Amino acid sequence: MMAAVAAADGGVPRSRSRAAAIAATLGACLLGAALAALPLFGIGPNLIRLLFVTLVWVTASVAWNLLGGFGGQVSFGFAVFYGLGAYAAAVALNAGLDPFSSCLLAAGVAVVASLAIGLPTFRLKGPYFAIATIGVSEAVRVVMTNVSATGGASGYRVMERGTFHQLQHFYSALGLAAGAVAISVLVRRSRLGLALVAVREDEDAAADLGVSPLRAKLLAHAIAAALTGAAGGIHARYAAYVNPQGEFAFAISVAILLMPIIGGVGTIWGPVIGAGIYGLVHEEIIAAFPELHLLIYGSLLILIVLFEPAGIVGLLGRLMRFAGRHRRRGRVRAASTP
Amino acid sequence: MSGADFLNLVIAALLLAGVYAAMAVGMTVIYGVMKIVNLAHAGFLMLGAYFVYELYERGGIDPLLGVLLAFPVFFLFGIGLHLALIRRLPVSDQPTLASLLLLFGLWLVLQNLGYLIWGNADRAILTPRTLSVLRFGPLTIPAVRLVVFGGAAAALAGLELVLRRTWFGRAVRALMQNRDAGRLVGIDVEGTARVAFGVGIAFAGAAGGMLAMLYSFSPDFGSPFLLRAFVIIVLGGLESFAGVAAGALVLALLETFSIQVLPASYQPAIAFSLLVVALAVLPGGLAGLWSRKRRWA
Repeated sequence: MMAAVAAADGGVPRSRSRAAAIAATLGACLLGAALAALPLFGIGPNLIRLLFVTLVWVTASVAWNLLGGFGGQVSFGFAVFYGLGAYAAAVALNAGLDPFSSCLLAAGVAVVASLAIGLPTFRLKGPYFAIATIGVSEAVRVVMTNVSATGGASGYRVMERGTFHQLQHFYSALGLAAGAVAISVLVRRSRLGLALVAVREDEDAAADLGVSPLRAKLLAHAIAAALTGAAGGIHARYAAYVNPQGEFAFAISVAILLMPIIGGVGTIWGPVIGAGIYGLVHEEIIAAFPELHLLIYGSLLILIVLFEPAGIVGLLGRLMRFAGRHRRRGRVRAASTP
Repeated sequence: MSGADFLNLVIAALLLAGVYAAMAVGMTVIYGVMKIVNLAHAGFLMLGAYFVYELYERGGIDPLLGVLLAFPVFFLFGIGLHLALIRRLPVSDQPTLASLLLLFGLWLVLQNLGYLIWGNADRAILTPRTLSVLRFGPLTIPAVRLVVFGGAAAALAGLELVLRRTWFGRAVRALMQNRDAGRLVGIDVEGTARVAFGVGIAFAGAAGGMLAMLYSFSPDFGSPFLLRAFVIIVLGGLESFAGVAAGALVLALLETFSIQVLPASYQPAIAFSLLVVALAVLPGGLAGLWSRKRRWA
């Protein structure tokens, strides 16, 4: 699988990769502009809400990919950052802080949590980090269910003064998602990105070359946590209500892990595509199969790992290579027949 | 706390540790031989619980016999899964992204199949044994816990015997130490891994049945025990059977005695905190303690 991932993002020749990068940047700007202009065409509030939620998912998915995709460190507990961010923003908003500072605070709280999880587990090679993340959201949920200051199990209401502008929420989520993609591009091209990929491929070899695996993993974890926490904060402000069963739900961790896997783990655009599909389809799936949706996601995970580890991006690449070979063969035949 | 209370708690912790060890040992076998963290362990615990429950409710088969039957049934289940899925994973000396995700997906599938078949109502196995208590002066021992402990101890002794005395056991121990060296001396790595996976799943299913005699269960039954099993094998240093026993004892003691000072709802947080402390202080697990001492000597 590692090889497949490496081929998906590293196997492109330099000259073509520059053209592809320019095309991707242009496409991204167009996509962002189209999304930003969409509300002007009078689409309904429900569609705007769906897009808002999808953009929150895009942020979390891109964040997970920073650590899981580039660094190869699987986390099953991103709901912790999402939930802590949501609670921190909720408390800050109720204390009268402005929305921007509240989301910054949410990101900060998530970063602290990421260090608390990362410091003991990242020092060691092996499965310790993945193991620890299995329990961490469970443990935090239990604690938050029993903290009476934030309403315990019955949740916590966000009371913000002023009128509700749905578009303001939409644009803040769009801004955050765009920022997340930009950070993902920057990280991928930075020393940190190279260090993460090196750690993913071979931690010992990376350490021999002078890369500090601990620092790279901690830093990626912190950036990912900050983005996910801010996403949780933005969503909490929109929903105006947080509760332990919702924000720290196991299903949230599953979703945040599933989206980049569907789209293409370790790539820039895979997590965006995966989150786009998940965000738009998830509610339909829940409505159609209320008891089956996690079964469907689990089967999907198994199928992807076994048959297309590079996700949709990998599938597209395979199709394009296939089409290219076909076309070339057609041309050769056309040249030889007359 | 009086002396008798203290002794009662120690006994309770000891009895609990037996089940915990049986629950965690399957994970150790699989990790040791294949370097795969069995995230689907919780799913097999849950299936084991329902297996024993259905046999008892429909066939009137004693739960203890049900646990015994769970061994061969889940062994074959594990072999089948290895042939269908696990075999296709890339071989590695470390848990890979692919193996973690595959077993995580398998866990989701098993858990939600459970919801599909049995719904989300809590079930329990109630036999005449369930509520009877043995008294020795001031000491009281719940009969069912004693029976379950006996079962777990017998299973662990059986496994120990197999690992010490058979060719398969020697192969397993060799592969745990060094896979490449094992291959060089002619061990069939894939065949051994297949049987080891079957043994791991068999222990998971049987341990699920044992736990079902002690607690009520639902399709989400396994997940709190998954974290406990992790803590135990991390405390045990991931690849040591003696370490598993020691880890199970430490966790059981901590959980039993913490009831005195902490509300029961905080129990999942205990296992997690223990994991973090263990990783920070004892990165090699309890077994690392004595191997480090040996290295110094």
